[in-house]
Amino acid sequence: MTVGQVPFGKFIALLSDSGLRVRVGPFNIRINTKSVTLANHIYRLYESYKLAEDEFAEFHVQVIVVHPKRKIFSPHIRFFVDGHSPFPPFPQEQGLTALEWGINLVIAARVSHLLLFHSAAVERNGQVILFPAWPGSGKTTLCTALIYRGYRLFSDEFGLMDPDNGDFFPIPRLMPLKNESIQVIRDYLPEAILGHEIPKTLKGTIAHVRPPKESFMRSEETAKAKWIIFPKWVAGSSLSLEPLPDSEAFLLLASNSFNYEVLGEVGFQAVTHLIRTCSCYKLVYSDFDDVISAMNDLTD
Amino acid sequence: MTGAYWRSVSFSSLQIEEWGGEFTVFQPNSGKTHFLNQMGLHILLCLDRAPTSEDEIFVFLTDQFQLTLDQNFSQQTIKTLHRFDELGLIEKVRPESLT
Amino acid sequence: MVYTQGHYKLLLDALTNPDCLIDYSIADWELLLRLARKVKLLGRLATELNKRDFLKKIPVRAANILRSSLIQAKRMQQLTHWELNRITWALQSMDIPVIALKGVAYSLVGLPESAGRTYVDLDIMVPKDVLVSVELELNQRGWVCQKLSAYDEHYYRVWSHEIPPLTHVEREIEVDVHHTITQPSSGIKVNSGLFFEAAVLAEGTSYKILSSVDMVLHCAVNLFQNNELAGDLRDLLDCHDLLVFFSEKEACFWENLIERANQFSLGRPLFYALHFSVLMFKTPVPDIVASNLNNKPSTIVLWVMSKLVPVALFPLHPDNPSKRDRVARTLLYLRSHWIRMPLYLLLPHLIYKSYLAVFPRKNSQS
Repeated sequence: MTVGQVPFGKFIALLSDSGLRVRVGPFNIRINTKSVTLANHIYRLYESYKLAEDEFAEFHVQVIVVHPKRKIFSPHIRFFVDGHSPFPPFPQEQGLTALEWGINLVIAARVSHLLLFHSAAVERNGQVILFPAWPGSGKTTLCTALIYRGYRLFSDEFGLMDPDNGDFFPIPRLMPLKNESIQVIRDYLPEAILGHEIPKTLKGTIAHVRPPKESFMRSEETAKAKWIIFPKWVAGSSLSLEPLPDSEAFLLLASNSFNYEVLGEVGFQAVTHLIRTCSCYKLVYSDFDDVISAMNDLTD
Repeated sequence: MTGAYWRSVSFSSLQIEEWGGEFTVFQPNSGKTHFLNQMGLHILLCLDRAPTSEDEIFVFLTDQFQLTLDQNFSQQTIKTLHRFDELGLIEKVRPESLT
Repeated sequence: MVYTQGHYKLLLDALTNPDCLIDYSIADWELLLRLARKVKLLGRLATELNKRDFLKKIPVRAANILRSSLIQAKRMQQLTHWELNRITWALQSMDIPVIALKGVAYSLVGLPESAGRTYVDLDIMVPKDVLVSVELELNQRGWVCQKLSAYDEHYYRVWSHEIPPLTHVEREIEVDVHHTITQPSSGIKVNSGLFFEAAVLAEGTSYKILSSVDMVLHCAVNLFQNNELAGDLRDLLDCHDLLVFFSEKEACFWENLIERANQFSLGRPLFYALHFSVLMFKTPVPDIVASNLNNKPSTIVLWVMSKLVPVALFPLHPDNPSKRDRVARTLLYLRSHWIRMPLYLLLPHLIYKSYLAVFPRKNSQS
């Protein structure tokens, strides 16, 4: 059963009382909020998320609207996990970003049985491409373009790897487009479903892409990585895809992991194995058609 | 004067992977991964065999890499030794423990 | 008694009788792990389950959380041990005694339960007369003091028993450098020199640790003199583990403990540690111990403490925190400051802290 199949009344009741339990990749998350605005956004954008009713939830998160006693202050939003708030308050309109960032944070801080790369990941023909995050990578935008052109979304934020066997876990979620990328995607992919624009967040204006239904239906199908591609979007550039020396790829990948050092020797061996079994490239692009055809050539 | 004597620390516990002339070295004691070039790795290999004086290290390295031994080279090498000391990869040997 | 029901019982049973965990329902597991995380005991549970080979038999999601926390606990242990290694290296030319305290000392002494203990920082003790030169030496070797407000800096240096925490620029572990085990402002004057005299080398290492009885006293003082007790169940469990470990290992342990506590006038914190450890964890403490301690609390004080301490040590229920538990915490918070400082110092400290709570500083953790 998916969120969209729950009647709205029951959905609201769950969120405000015992909690809405949804599957987020290999994890279950229990969400509580009494904010009707946020509930409306979640209902629309989480439509394809699977329910995890009566299942164990790893993370218990809450978004609370705080009404200050004095009228001159406007209400604000707080994110809580297990009764603890890791962030300062957010403006009231930013409930959805607070929730999504909060979930990122608890995953990054608490999960250590998997190796967590800060990376987008998509799959084609049974094999995964990792696009590690680095400044200007535009990984979310690139990832959005690819998943509307036949690639299966694993994540735009986390490469989740089982260090024992090298399997990657899909963790499809909303994908936050930032600033200019919002219009870029609206122009290139008119069919993409986007949430409302949330202005003035810490990262500028944000609009969330609702990933295609298929990514959620197949969210239990793991796959191994074959390519690690460090992307960079450069306005007006022609496409280039250059091999990257393994030692450099190791350094970049390890320093782009949330918990490489926490895993110690296991992390070292897992990254070594990953680099030895993948082809590593540096990608510079500006045009989506070019980059999609290059990725298709690579993965055919 | 032959300079201080150095030796490696827990060399056998290190996990070393080669990437075309460069090395990633995992140090279990600290949990750190170090990136070394050929020269850096040769220093560790040399100090793993026996406690070695700085002068002997200079000669060993210039032989290995066919370089000329000058002041610049010895200063660079001493800098590397101190860095390795700080990272706990090598340590100074007290003269009395040499005999 | 309150801690024998509800979420208290769920957690206490898991700690005192891990065999019962095999019967926990999904809902029990969920609540248990949230509670255990709050009191830093996930790693402890994980090692107990590992020992019994239970991790494969419990719900897989719960097992993954426990595995994760064990990996994190191991990592923190590695970091603190390495930090001690580097501190020793940095101070070797000074030729002074450096005593490892708390978590890292528990693992150096071979306490079996330390394998799953979650560490947050490294605590060491050096003689007071070299404190300044130690700080200077460490500063020169890359350990720096995080930015503190002038008030916090003053508090640390004048009224606390530590210098502000130091962190090496290339690593993340905080190092707390102590020169005694009680707060100077608490009025209890302990001759720290005696701790250094009695300190021993940890077996198979070159690191110094407190003698067994001093280690237990430090644990008790830290819990009942220096802390606010809220959510400190882990520290009481440390006391329990140490008592069991040393009393099995050393023939005259209890006699030595009594003598040492009375020598330092630390009978009261030790009495509390023993009392609550027996109450919660059924620690096998012989009756002669309590009856031979000086400075015991009066019946009425003990009655009040018995009402407050157990509920405060436990984490609040994550979904429905009870008002009574919160009140107990506030009272104990006041108490901890009361016993540490004369009243005229206490008021500005609390006012400043609550002022900070209303207007968090910009550089506070986000």
